[in-house]
Amino acid sequence: MESIKETQKKYCSRALFTAIVLFFVFYLCKLIPVGKGLLLGTIFSVINFVLIGFGLPMKMGKTRKNVFFLSLGSIFIRFLLLAIPIVAAIKLKQFNLVAVVAGLFSVQLVLLSDHLFNLILSKRQKQL
Amino acid sequence: MAIDIQTWVNVSAFSGAGIAMGLGAIGAAVAEGNTAASANYAVSRNPSASGEIFKSMLVGQAIAESAAIFALVVAMVLMFSPFPSDSLLWVFVMLAAGISMGFGAIGAAIGSGFPAAAACEGMARQPEMSGPLATNMLIGSAVCQTPAIFALVTSFILMFKDYTGLPLAPTWAAILGAGISTGLSTIGSGVGGGLIARESCLGMARQPLTATTLTNTMLLGQAVTQTPAIYGLLISFMLIFSSSPETAALTPAMALLGAGICMGLGASGPALGIGITGQSAVKAISRNLTAASDITRVMLIGMAVSESTGIYAMVISLCLIFVV
Repeated sequence: MESIKETQKKYCSRALFTAIVLFFVFYLCKLIPVGKGLLLGTIFSVINFVLIGFGLPMKMGKTRKNVFFLSLGSIFIRFLLLAIPIVAAIKLKQFNLVAVVAGLFSVQLVLLSDHLFNLILSKRQKQL
Repeated sequence: MAIDIQTWVNVSAFSGAGIAMGLGAIGAAVAEGNTAASANYAVSRNPSASGEIFKSMLVGQAIAESAAIFALVVAMVLMFSPFPSDSLLWVFVMLAAGISMGFGAIGAAIGSGFPAAAACEGMARQPEMSGPLATNMLIGSAVCQTPAIFALVTSFILMFKDYTGLPLAPTWAAILGAGISTGLSTIGSGVGGGLIARESCLGMARQPLTATTLTNTMLLGQAVTQTPAIYGLLISFMLIFSSSPETAALTPAMALLGAGICMGLGASGPALGIGITGQSAVKAISRNLTAASDITRVMLIGMAVSESTGIYAMVISLCLIFVV
């Protein structure tokens, strides 16, 4: 499971770093609720990604049916957690809802952009 | 006991939230279970590649649940946002938003689980292809999320549109039809796109030299698979933004509701058919790269024919909206 921890560390740190940089950019542009929302969403996105990895060993060696129910339970628990920033953004004006939602997808966006960047890089290297 | 409009709107918002999140969770759970089951099989086949397989499983599951996160967002907005209570129309708006997102998340989530599962199997077969397989899986899974984005957009438009001055009848039917149209039409597109991405990952593992052609064919196939969902989205927009005169008669309302149901159901089959066509084409190319151009031609013709039934459904929906 060491590779999972390394993967989580790599993508979570990148997502958090990007969110912090964007927070300062929005802070300078006087868009503080957007920056705060993005940071809040990213923190919960990172927690969710860590929890997915935490649940992986439990799914190994189980039947397809058991894995389905384990996945369903895991989704409900993690989504209860993800609901917190969304409710906070709806109730509090300090957080922008759209920014919170965007932040919730930050790990996924980092994953995609990292792989796409590597794909483009390898294609350019092949051309050279 | 007299129940005011606000109470009905609240009841409807909670029901819509339940529909959105309940259905949204099913698709994600199926996808995660499918990925984990394939990872089990892959580890048993090649235990030395378990590190890469677990990594792929983790990343695949994270992408697969994006559609369910969309559903969560809609459910939370429905539950905690203050909505107007000046018209009974809002009762149908809340339900339609929930239906659109709930059904819209099922296909995308299930579909994006297919490439994640196939990538795990592929890594067991061809560990040195782990990098390209992970990239292909991520691209394939991400494209599968497009129908869920359509559903999210429809839900948000439904929730935040200004309905001031619109008559209750037949607008209620148009709103409900819009939710059903987008929600149902996205199921086939999500699953169909996933089938193509799945075969692309398996093909890359089977024949690494075909990787680039397979990724390109996958993207082409997935793009065509999305078109029935676009028809569904189009009909939804027409239903949301076209205004009908107030009437007490039930016929115009049923025509608008029928348009949504027609397009929603009518788009699911063709999208799935297109997905199956694309899946077989990708498989065939991975077996015989030299015939790629012929196979692509046959695939596109097959997809066009599969798509025709979706076009018939759209024509009938347009007739129901504008002619009846």
